[in-house]
Amino acid sequence: MLTRRDLFIKWSAYGLTSLALTFLFALTLRDVELLGAHMFFPPLLVAVVASLEDPRSGVSFGLVCGVLCDLTTAGTFPCVYTLAFTLAALLGAALAQSVLQPGALCSAAVTLLTFLILDALNMLALFITARAPLGAMASLALREALISCPLLLIVHPVLRHVHDRFTL
Amino acid sequence: MKKFFSRHGVSILAAAAVIAVGLSVLTYFSSTSTFLHNAAGVLSSPFRAAAESVGGWFEDKQRYYRDYSDLLAEVKALREEVAELRANARQAESDREENALFRRLIGLREQRRDFVFESAKVLERSSSNWTRTLTLNRGTSHGVAARNVVVSSEGYLVGVVTDVGLNWCTVQTITDTDTELGALLFRTGDVVVAEGDFALMGEDRLKLSYLPVDTALLVGDYIVTSGLGGYYPSNLVIGTVESVEADDNGLAQYAVLAPMLDFDDLTEVFVIKAFDIVE
Repeated sequence: MLTRRDLFIKWSAYGLTSLALTFLFALTLRDVELLGAHMFFPPLLVAVVASLEDPRSGVSFGLVCGVLCDLTTAGTFPCVYTLAFTLAALLGAALAQSVLQPGALCSAAVTLLTFLILDALNMLALFITARAPLGAMASLALREALISCPLLLIVHPVLRHVHDRFTL
Repeated sequence: MKKFFSRHGVSILAAAAVIAVGLSVLTYFSSTSTFLHNAAGVLSSPFRAAAESVGGWFEDKQRYYRDYSDLLAEVKALREEVAELRANARQAESDREENALFRRLIGLREQRRDFVFESAKVLERSSSNWTRTLTLNRGTSHGVAARNVVVSSEGYLVGVVTDVGLNWCTVQTITDTDTELGALLFRTGDVVVAEGDFALMGEDRLKLSYLPVDTALLVGDYIVTSGLGGYYPSNLVIGTVESVEADDNGLAQYAVLAPMLDFDDLTEVFVIKAFDIVE
């Protein structure tokens, strides 16, 4: 059982590691275009933490990440990241607790789930507001998820290390 | 797990929904950004600037070697173009004097275009694949407001300010799906609408819609802002016609517009804070 101080240290470590990874990503890979799309980093952070942590913590992290993304990143509608990341973390935590053992495979599955939810909301918003063609949107969603998922090779071990260091 | 969902699932989703609706409502009703939005923008500005600087430095170094041979060819072409433009300028000078004389004769007001510019650096390009925005390092403290128009150093239209904080602002570029601008076909004066299109956004193109039936578009035709309604200045170049296509039902035509600038190369832009145009 972690004390309140341990919890504070653990979540500070998660927060700082996430910020450092995001900054590193922005410095190096953000402008790289593959298959006509850019990698999108925040869903990976949400997915990995949701798959490693208990449901309440994972969902809270997803909620905070969502709000921060909505405040700093342009989206298809003002609260898209808050809704998508909270829902994805909730479902991801359920997946990690009942179907898959927390690990790399589980992180990959939750990451795909997070992209699926986020892109479904983006597609819905753009379909309603701009009558965007579904085929083109689905293609972009698929390419975005495909090129972003390899970043798990970095994100998962780093966050796993933080989890093991401050939980076990 | 089941216990968790029955105990907390609904309350967490309700909390998310309240926050989400709160953000949406605040964004919808405020002309500038909310306190939280503003604070997040101010705090993240130095990191955005650092990331952009480092990324830009690497890109510059890569391009320095790659583009050298292209640059030699471009310099040659530009020299020829400068010579042609100088000849045109001499002709334009004499036309301007003649025009001024005629205006005086028929009692028309002098034409003028006065702009109040604020130069700004691009801090960040949109990190999402679903929107096309830029974050600039100028905000309300520099007099920038929502709906201000942003142009490149050559005067080409970049986009419109949609969100402003203390020392930052977000610009929705002309290729974003939410963009809709009153436009003019420069050659004929036909009024049309330039709008972002999702299928074209990935190629940094936009669409020219509501073409009058008798419009004869030519590839390379210039499309400029109409200035109708008075929100945006007139005669800012949006782009040139790249192709003319039939829409899905085959009944109407639309044109694909290529902007005059490369958004990936933009580092410095100008916000038009105020304008006064007499035509």
